[in-house]
Amino acid sequence: MKTKILLDEEELPKRWYNVAADLLTPLDPPLHPQTGEPLKPEDLEMIFPKGLIRQEMSTDRWIDIPDEVREILRLWRPTPLFRAHRLEEHLKTPAKIYYKYEGVSPAGSHKPNTAVPQAYYNMKEGVERIATETGAGQWGSALSMATCLFDIQCRVYMVRASFDQKPYRKSIMQVWGAECVASPSELTNAGRMILKEHPNTGGSLGIAISEAVEDAATHENTNYALGSVLNHVLLHQTVEGQELQKQMAMVEDYPDVIYGCVGGGSNFPGMVFPFIPDKLKEKKEIRMVACEPSACPTLTKGLFTYDFGDTARLTPLLKMYTLGHDFIPPSIHAGGLRYHGDAPLLCNLVHDRVIEAQSFHQNEVFKAAVTFARTEGILPAPEASHALKPAIDDAIACKKTGEEKTIVISLSGHGHFDLSSYDAYFAGNLEDYEYPAELVKQSLANLPKF
Amino acid sequence: MISLKKVGFLINPIAGMGGAVGLKGTDGLAEEARRRGAKPVATHRAETALKKLLGLDALFFTASGKMGESALRRCGLEYQVVCQTSEESSAEDTKKTCRSFLDRCADLVVFCGGDGTARNVSGVIRSQVPIIGIPAGVKMHSGVFTISPQAAGELIRGYLEGDLNVRETEIVDVDEEKYRAGTLDTKIYGIAATPYKPALVQERKQIYSASSEEEFKEEIAIFASEFMRDGSAYILGAGTTTAKIAEVLRVEKTLLGVDVVKDGRVICTDASEEDLLGIIDEVGEIKIIVSPIGAQGFVLGRGSQQISPKVLRKVGPENLIIVATPHKLKETPRLLVETGDFDLDETISGRRQVICGYRIAQLKDVEASSRVGMDQSGSF
Repeated sequence: MKTKILLDEEELPKRWYNVAADLLTPLDPPLHPQTGEPLKPEDLEMIFPKGLIRQEMSTDRWIDIPDEVREILRLWRPTPLFRAHRLEEHLKTPAKIYYKYEGVSPAGSHKPNTAVPQAYYNMKEGVERIATETGAGQWGSALSMATCLFDIQCRVYMVRASFDQKPYRKSIMQVWGAECVASPSELTNAGRMILKEHPNTGGSLGIAISEAVEDAATHENTNYALGSVLNHVLLHQTVEGQELQKQMAMVEDYPDVIYGCVGGGSNFPGMVFPFIPDKLKEKKEIRMVACEPSACPTLTKGLFTYDFGDTARLTPLLKMYTLGHDFIPPSIHAGGLRYHGDAPLLCNLVHDRVIEAQSFHQNEVFKAAVTFARTEGILPAPEASHALKPAIDDAIACKKTGEEKTIVISLSGHGHFDLSSYDAYFAGNLEDYEYPAELVKQSLANLPKF
Repeated sequence: MISLKKVGFLINPIAGMGGAVGLKGTDGLAEEARRRGAKPVATHRAETALKKLLGLDALFFTASGKMGESALRRCGLEYQVVCQTSEESSAEDTKKTCRSFLDRCADLVVFCGGDGTARNVSGVIRSQVPIIGIPAGVKMHSGVFTISPQAAGELIRGYLEGDLNVRETEIVDVDEEKYRAGTLDTKIYGIAATPYKPALVQERKQIYSASSEEEFKEEIAIFASEFMRDGSAYILGAGTTTAKIAEVLRVEKTLLGVDVVKDGRVICTDASEEDLLGIIDEVGEIKIIVSPIGAQGFVLGRGSQQISPKVLRKVGPENLIIVATPHKLKETPRLLVETGDFDLDETISGRRQVICGYRIAQLKDVEASSRVGMDQSGSF
């Protein structure tokens, strides 16, 4: 029985799959932050290249991947699908556990899948500098690498809590020629405003986005890039799910369930979106479970409504599940999952009950991560480990039912930069944060309406 | 064979009476407390501890009558009255009795009372003999107190039978005059030796002043001020975190008293148990907001006795909201409840949400302090 299920380089997908073509309910349009009117392509031109704006607005089912992009993706793609024999044996489960591992990319996660095409389209349109934000540092590293390969300057605003927890993320970005600053910073109005009110804040993805957007809007020939949430980002990640489909076919199997972690939503949608037509058109019984932290439970406890993507209200209003753009999630160790909203495409499918969502506390997540590392060897990122927890629980449940369920985990990255978090876990220093949903509901119900 | 141990034992019979009737301490106010309908609590608590000592090879030195003799007799323990005290016990009686303990070379001094009693006892004993405090007062900030009378019984037994270590700890008290006026002014009055078992002895109460701590309090207070607009009445317990909520709501609050707020207005200041019961009948929807007291981690039972079992049962444990800054939670190994009603403590226990910031909570274990004591009973 195979452990690694590998595709040939030539089988790297040639097209991206656009789920916008297959939604049950059409996507609500993004709204202009000042006028409240649906956004026009030209509204985005100040910070995005036209090539990406076209993809953002497209409802074409398939979009070709440029050869130059595929050439770079070949450096690590197709990524391996593993059969977790040792984990199965450890759990004594009849279930078949697979994990598709994106940690083999140079930056250590799935993020380069979109960083490369984003840098490419900017390069094609003559952009010389890109500003971005990063939560855990995965996206910042990925974009640093991609901009380096296309000879573009890059500045990364990294959420302070992660910046302090993972100093070597800054180092790797520097190797790839990028500048990494802790957010909130003194470099932008948004950052200065937050620092004035909360000088000791650990920051948040919402604040960092405000800073990067402001940077792009106020610097010459500078664009903004986002590693999550937006339609074109999710589009680029669909290489994952397309490969997974081929790999499952190679072993004549098919997922009963796919678990993946969700922060802003890019890796998980990338893995599951190519299966949406199977579920909706071919009526295949496949569950897709988005796994998020209980400290920031956007999909499970948030409101489905229009909200800003950032703290300073600079971004368009997006229809999504949100905990409120002013919510600063606690400094949990899965820094990449600390976002108040989620990708509108993903939210649309959760709202239509095509995709499920569950939330988990960080101690149980780290426990699952350690079990995984001690059986499969790979040290998973805390973010990715949110998918391990329910997958392991599911496999254990199969012991009782005897079901030979096919469980697939989207293992989005390695945790080599997260060792201080593992130390904190072993020292018993991790707190289980929770979102007090009932009290928040009570407070929102009584807030003055605008 | 273990040689006969000599234990000095005294009770401050009026300790704790002020708590349930809204007096923050009983020093000099025993008469007022009785007038307000307060019942003595110390003797019962002392006997709960003493019952754990049956069969122990020990001789108790004690004071006459309510200050120890009666309780030891009822519990069937061997004792010797070493000091005759007046019917209305006084601080002077406590000190006199302690001097007799030293004269007779007691191996351990056990008292039942609050911080006031601890000050009097340690003023005489100092660090010469280890001291254990059975908690019965309104204020119990000193490190000689165990977390419950049961735990005191086990600690006494453990120390006399075995090899528990002794450490030095601070005797602290709050200025009762300032305390009644709303200022929390703790002062160290001395150092005492006490047998030490981390799970059973209170860490000295800590009061934080770091600026980040203040920020978290503010965050909690802003969040609370938002959810408190639901038309319910809110009973605000004692402490600086709940005081911050009042500050954000722009209402006056007694720092260590219990106040009731509804629709942004204070409807009762410095409420007694009786006041609270009256208000509950009147207003219908009512919730309680409390904060753990310093490093002791008591959310109920210390400092806010007005929020009595009767009050809690009427409000319903599900309407109890606990708030605490992350710093305070980090320093607090667990949250404890000791309302005096064991079944109620059990109902409140378990994994509970503690609001620790703006729309942020931590999951913490809340335990009945008597249960904590019992769980440890076999471990000496």
